[in-house]
Amino acid sequence: MKKQTDYKKPEISKEMKELVVARIEALAPSNLRFFIGDSKGMTKEEMISHIESSDEIGKSIVKSHMSFLKAVASGKFMKAINSA
Amino acid sequence: MKKGIIITLPRHDDLTEYLSQFSCYIIEEAAKNNINLKPLKDGAANKANFEKVAKKLDYNFIIFNGHGTDSQIKGYKDEVLVESGINEELLKGKIVYARSCHAALKLGKECISKGSNGCFIGYIAPFKVCANSECFSNLLNDRIASFFLEPSNQIPISLIKGNSATEANEKSKNAILKSINKVLRDPLEYSPLIAEDLWNNFENQVVLGNLNAKI
Repeated sequence: MKKQTDYKKPEISKEMKELVVARIEALAPSNLRFFIGDSKGMTKEEMISHIESSDEIGKSIVKSHMSFLKAVASGKFMKAINSA
Repeated sequence: MKKGIIITLPRHDDLTEYLSQFSCYIIEEAAKNNINLKPLKDGAANKANFEKVAKKLDYNFIIFNGHGTDSQIKGYKDEVLVESGINEELLKGKIVYARSCHAALKLGKECISKGSNGCFIGYIAPFKVCANSECFSNLLNDRIASFFLEPSNQIPISLIKGNSATEANEKSKNAILKSINKVLRDPLEYSPLIAEDLWNNFENQVVLGNLNAKI
């Protein structure tokens, strides 16, 4: 019988996606375009669509947001900007 | 090897248009410092032409504006210019700055492998840019895009001014942090998501190989 711990956690969880979507909805103005990799400049709606479809661009967006939040939580971000 | 710069300037989509247009400041700095510069504009940024120019001119500094993967740097209409295991030896011994996603992960490492005195400055994740769609008719006036591309330009500009690869990287990263500070200080004007994407570039910009390399 499989133990609970035998299940691999999804790389991008549903909660992470929801968090990132909520942040983008709240923080992205309509005139901003986001270039990630070889994507065309995305609107916030297009970014959210990528996240919800869990495609490679969507996963990249979520990973990047989570990396930033971790840097803030650990103090790394504040330490860096205060050094400039 | 001769002192000089090859720079690719493909303009086949919005991002490469931004990268190419903002490269005008690099080209100006090279001219001020009397450094030979060979631009490969638009369709001239193809594989056959790049290989020919790189071999013939043998310049010691190459700047790539274009998309990429961990093993490829691309040119006009995403034609692969350099690929690991195929023609990466074209970059060995030179200073390379690639505004191409992920290229430092694998291709960059192969370019600076043993025996080479060159260096590779690039990114181990997607290179991100935010832009203001209201400035699409006059890209150089886009204040938001300049938060990304002026610090990025600092790398080649610092090298042109005689700094080492590691000094150029530090100046660039310092400029990214200053951009982040400006964005965060004006929340009514700038979205904090801009600061996040700047942080992405800060964290993922790396120098590989000879840190003391100079043009």
